[in-house]
Amino acid sequence: MIRIENISKRYRYNGHESAMILSDINLTIPEGQFVCLLGPSGCGKTTLLNLVAGFIKPSQGRILFNDARVTGPGPERGVVFQDATLFPWLTVRQNVEFGLRQRGLNNNNRTKIATEYLHLVGMALHANAYPHTLSGGMRQRIAIARVLALEPQALLMDEPFSSLDINSREHLQDELLRVWDAHRRTLLYVTHSVEEAVYLADRVIIMGPAPKSICGDMILPLKRPRKHFSDEFRSVIASLRLSLDALPCCIKPSEKKSGRI
Amino acid sequence: MGRSILKNLIPVLIFILLWQVIALMVTAVKGVPFPTPWQTGVKFGSLLGGQFLSDHTLYRHILDSLTRWFIGFSIAAIAGIGYGLAAGWSRLFEDATYKILHILQLIPGLAWIPVAILIFGIGETATIFMIAMTAFTPVAINVLSGVKRLDTTFVRAALMMGAGRKALFLQVLLPGSLPAILSGLRIGLGNGWRVLVAAEMIVGTGTGLGYSIIQARWTLDYTSAFACLGVICAIGLVFEQFIFNPLEQRTIARWALDRDA
Repeated sequence: MIRIENISKRYRYNGHESAMILSDINLTIPEGQFVCLLGPSGCGKTTLLNLVAGFIKPSQGRILFNDARVTGPGPERGVVFQDATLFPWLTVRQNVEFGLRQRGLNNNNRTKIATEYLHLVGMALHANAYPHTLSGGMRQRIAIARVLALEPQALLMDEPFSSLDINSREHLQDELLRVWDAHRRTLLYVTHSVEEAVYLADRVIIMGPAPKSICGDMILPLKRPRKHFSDEFRSVIASLRLSLDALPCCIKPSEKKSGRI
Repeated sequence: MGRSILKNLIPVLIFILLWQVIALMVTAVKGVPFPTPWQTGVKFGSLLGGQFLSDHTLYRHILDSLTRWFIGFSIAAIAGIGYGLAAGWSRLFEDATYKILHILQLIPGLAWIPVAILIFGIGETATIFMIAMTAFTPVAINVLSGVKRLDTTFVRAALMMGAGRKALFLQVLLPGSLPAILSGLRIGLGNGWRVLVAAEMIVGTGTGLGYSIIQARWTLDYTSAFACLGVICAIGLVFEQFIFNPLEQRTIARWALDRDA
């Protein structure tokens, strides 16, 4: 369970406080729920995800994960980034083994578990390849395997399929649902696509610019498996569109990548 | 295959031709015997055959130069990589020392001569000191910028998978900055080689290629000096072609991945 309590976030540049990104957010995400954070770019979806991941610290408030306060990143909260960010100096298998190695597993067990998860995402044949020889979709599959191998209690995904072509994206969405369905872990998923959110999520949280960071919170009344073109699917999309249309289409970019750890 | 040999051969032929033309012109116009490629080649052959050059064989000179270069460069490489990693890791250390690095970088290699002689006296150690000083800065600067440019998401991914400080350093920072380390070493090696030859001319080492060139000049044995120049070029080429090029191609191909993504 993820509890987000009174969270606010401002970024700081050269000592100056910049505008508020997130303002006074309160959310509770129960165990096993698939939650999409939906909203225009720049509204702080990624910032909220990074806070839950522990990559950044809130300016105010706190985040509890299974009742323990989040103070930094950790393998119980696996993150899939927008780019696969596989380590280019490691083979596919070694990339998946990275987290297992940190846990101190021996060689045999590492290889066994890594192979199992590579199978799960259909990449077992490429175990000995280096990431640069693979396509974007394949890399993202491996990034998912790498995180699943950690056996995290929650998955945090930041627009993981947004840089893929439509075909791979839909394939990977289906595979993600299959994998999620097998274990029902809590999943927090950032997207700016209404279709994607409606196809994947149990619950959609609509985010807007601060100070009104949360503009909507909706449990989707759709059964699984979902069909892209069913009437109810379309009507849910239409109603979410309405809420989104009320928001400004984009907000000035605020999250700057810094070169330092 | 045939084409590529031809492509490599053409610049060599042009170079020899130009050399021949210049040699003939200088000899004709100024009346001093300028060694032609042929004369140099013949001389080189007899030096290889064991003819003495300033009291030692050519092999001894080459060996001594290479030894000095290797020792000086090794010191610079270890210190430079160590510094770069440490300063990339700790902001405090970087801020405290980076300006010094910049000042060092502005000092031409040969300007270390008085310092070297004052500290170490004339001879071997002074030469090695000069090589180490000139090779150190490019290695240190390159490694530092390599560590700093390392993608933040790599670090985040590693922490998320449970990497501790030691693993972060050894398994992410170090391999991640390998391309920068290599290019720093390459520049350092070149700088060291150039300053070595020059230092041997002045510091009075008694052996070495630089020493031989300057001695040959005093005895008006210009052909031997030219033969030594040829050896210097050949050694440089061997290091480029057979050590650094293959290493860089291997790493760049792999590491290129997330750079442009």
